[in-house]
Amino acid sequence: MSRATAEVIPAPPVAKSHRRRFNAGDQVFTGLAYAAALLMIVIAVIFVIALVIPALPAITSFGVGFLTGRVWDPVHLRFGALPAIYGTLVTSAIGILLAFPIGLGAALFLAEEGGLSAIRGPLSFAIELLAAIPSVVIGLWAFFILTPIMRSIVDPFLNHTLGFLPFFRGGASGYGYLTAGVVLAIMVLPIMTALSRDVIRAVPRALREASLALGATNAESIWSVVLPFARVGITGAVLLSLGRALGETIAVTMVIGNSPNISASLFSLGYTLPSVIANEFTEAVGKVYQGALFELALILALITIVVNVLARLLIWRFKGSEPSVA
Amino acid sequence: MKRILVGLSASAALLLAACGGSSTATNPSTGAANTIPTPPAASLTGAGATFPAPFYTAAFYAYNQKYSQVTVNYQAVGSGAGIQQLTAKTVDFGASDVPMSASELTAAGGSDAVVQIASTLGTEGLAYNLQGVSTGQLKLTPDTIAGIFLGSIKKWNDPALAADNSGVSLPNAPISVVHRSDGSGTTYIFTDYLSSVNADWKSKVAKGKSVNWPVGQGAKGNEAVATTIKNTPNSIGYVELAYILQTNMTQASLKNHDGNFVVPSPEGATAAASQFLAVNPSQFSIVDAPGKDSAPISGYSWLMLYKEQTDKTKGTAAVDLLDWMVQDGQQYATTVHYAKLPATMVRNDINSLKTVTSGGSTLLNVPSPS
Repeated sequence: MSRATAEVIPAPPVAKSHRRRFNAGDQVFTGLAYAAALLMIVIAVIFVIALVIPALPAITSFGVGFLTGRVWDPVHLRFGALPAIYGTLVTSAIGILLAFPIGLGAALFLAEEGGLSAIRGPLSFAIELLAAIPSVVIGLWAFFILTPIMRSIVDPFLNHTLGFLPFFRGGASGYGYLTAGVVLAIMVLPIMTALSRDVIRAVPRALREASLALGATNAESIWSVVLPFARVGITGAVLLSLGRALGETIAVTMVIGNSPNISASLFSLGYTLPSVIANEFTEAVGKVYQGALFELALILALITIVVNVLARLLIWRFKGSEPSVA
Repeated sequence: MKRILVGLSASAALLLAACGGSSTATNPSTGAANTIPTPPAASLTGAGATFPAPFYTAAFYAYNQKYSQVTVNYQAVGSGAGIQQLTAKTVDFGASDVPMSASELTAAGGSDAVVQIASTLGTEGLAYNLQGVSTGQLKLTPDTIAGIFLGSIKKWNDPALAADNSGVSLPNAPISVVHRSDGSGTTYIFTDYLSSVNADWKSKVAKGKSVNWPVGQGAKGNEAVATTIKNTPNSIGYVELAYILQTNMTQASLKNHDGNFVVPSPEGATAAASQFLAVNPSQFSIVDAPGKDSAPISGYSWLMLYKEQTDKTKGTAAVDLLDWMVQDGQQYATTVHYAKLPATMVRNDINSLKTVTSGGSTLLNVPSPS
């Protein structure tokens, strides 16, 4: 672009632009920036290749059947990923469904001004602390404290009150989809809250004040002005939380029951993609067995990449739309 | 520079080896303790099985106390990873609950490239959580164990269980089965046992470090299985004996090959192992052993190193360490609830260690115990 301009304009400016073009600092900086950007792409490509190559023995021996197979039998080398894919999606969905109303409520409270401002600081701090707890600590807590509570109180209560739904039938051991979902909800709550809070804060003040000036109550303004405006950004926050939930390994492994089942009941024991990998990679011998684990990793990486790309796009769209609406 | 260093360490190795040789010569075989020469200074790295890790940690620490010039760094990363690291030559010795298979040996350089020795002996028990039923009260036979883990025996008051347990009040409650979710030697030994005693199990599930479990819940590691059983009423699972004893779990009395009911113990494991005189890395199963005291679900754990050692100093130190492990080191096994190797196995191990060489010369020149 600048080169094209330089060619059509007269001599002295050309010389000037030449001087600018050969500024060593600019050149080096531009080069480094390009190289850095390129490196990211190279790393991403190498990463995918590094997953595909070891996964090839499994991809070639099972084909599409790997995605639909329900049996995971390392002894007879029969591998199907469906229960793990199902478990990953179900536990993450439970986590998001539980965390969404709580996270959004907390975000609205934190983004509001006036009123109980004295406790907002400490509350924000507490939520950020929750994000700082390592997942293995949450897993340990869940394993020792949450599972007995789920078995003796929560699961029987749900079975008693909502047992007419297929989701809450059958015996409950305290482990399984629902418990893993609760653990994931706790783990994504901080991200969900912090991102939603920032998105809500970015809603132009003028909009809210206009709504209040028209006689709407605070609740009405939130419902009909703030939330619709922040909708795209909040969706992005949900998807980012989902990305976190999908990949969570250790805390889920400790409470999911590690048993490849597909069942409508949320009390059922299950398995997730990261849990299978974490459980079996140390003793996986043979190209096909290892390949099957790598293919699980590939599936997980693809799911999380898609979810994260969607989330970023939505958040960008929200930020981009800001000035045009205001 | 590199070449000079290699040359230096090689000559140091020769010197040290010479010293080692002379110290052996001045201490003729007067007893087990004296058969071990002073090892050369070396820093050894090993990796592998988690099941014998408490014993290895205790033994390597004791060895370092005795010979401060030798430090041993053991990484309990799992048997499969241990074999991989040995094959990649990133460790001096590997450890596995199941000896290396023919294909693994081929990958490591041939069927004769690696020396494998039995390092310790473990046994497994069936731990349970049943109100009012204490250790040894619940009696299990090969068929009822297989029935529970196949899912054909679903309730504690099943007639098949009641037949062996008159006088024990077993609840009318579903059995919660707990098994390992991670690939493990513990699972291998347990499924090897079930495959040996039950044709149904052998055809439907078979043996392996990870299997396709017909029923039950998976937990990662012996500790998690133990805790899940303690947390879950009416549950049962197979657990390495060391964890059962250390955490005071209740365990069943198991009917062995001779028809006796025994509560698994380290002594029972040694009794089982001494029934198999021809155990070697390709014929290593000792489950369902005959003998009146034999604990039925027992197995060896193995250490492996390359037969030809490129670094003579390290090779000598490693061979000396393993020689000590299978003799004096065995005393540390019982303190962490593992069983002592039977005398025949100790002899086999020493004979195997004698085949380890560096540049054509044998690294272990110790008279075997008589």
